[in-house]
Amino acid sequence: MIVIDDWSYMRSDMLVSTERLEGSPLVIVSGEIDHGSSGALQTKIDTFLDCGDTVILLDLSDVTYIDSGGISVLLSTVRRLRSDGWLAAVSPNANVRRLLEIVGLKVDHGFRLFDDRETAAAAVQKMAGH
Amino acid sequence: MNTSNTSRCRLISVAPDPVRLAEIRRFVEETAAEVALDAEKTFDLKVAVSEACANAVEHSGGNHAPLEVCAFLYSDRIVFKISDGGDFRVPAAHSRSDWSNRGLGLPLMVALMDEVCIAKTRGGGTNVSLSLFL
Repeated sequence: MIVIDDWSYMRSDMLVSTERLEGSPLVIVSGEIDHGSSGALQTKIDTFLDCGDTVILLDLSDVTYIDSGGISVLLSTVRRLRSDGWLAAVSPNANVRRLLEIVGLKVDHGFRLFDDRETAAAAVQKMAGH
Repeated sequence: MNTSNTSRCRLISVAPDPVRLAEIRRFVEETAAEVALDAEKTFDLKVAVSEACANAVEHSGGNHAPLEVCAFLYSDRIVFKISDGGDFRVPAAHSRSDWSNRGLGLPLMVALMDEVCIAKTRGGGTNVSLSLFL
């Protein structure tokens, strides 16, 4: 059996940029997160995990599609953050939100869902004890 | 499966290469538009078909037999049949614990579709058929 571990050569229709929101990394993703593009997202998130960030925010407002390729990235990140922080999805569209519910992410204490950046910012502030 | 009512069929045949997954999703979108499927069901179909194809690509094992996706449009349902030349495989246990979380594909197909059927063919291939009631 051949297990394809490296999907990075696949064509992707996803753009990633980063900002800071109340000091925490905010990764802004647009386009489709599939088996082809998820590796690039993981790489980006890993740079923050490796720096010791305990709260990571993903702005998914412009994500039009996600499948198990993208969900895998979220699950792996949640696993790494769960003990002392969380991963958040900010304003995913209704379809993306539904998929996150189906895979059980919404009820994971290492994962949070926010309707907008303002709500997310308030939660980050609260986490930091301001 | 009820196939008594008349159907129309659309087919896309591509090399079993992961770079073609986005193209297959465009095919699903076009097909869904033909029956004026709503955005939610179209999204579900794209995910389910894409997962089935990703599975097929992964277990094609370098086999160059084309990956065929056929859409059947019935009056009461839409059916996508994904045929490939490889065995349906459960993701290797050793790959589950790392970043890949492989093995989510089949549960997603089952959760999103009304009917999922996986069958081996005599020639050593696999047919996955995904149905959504209209």
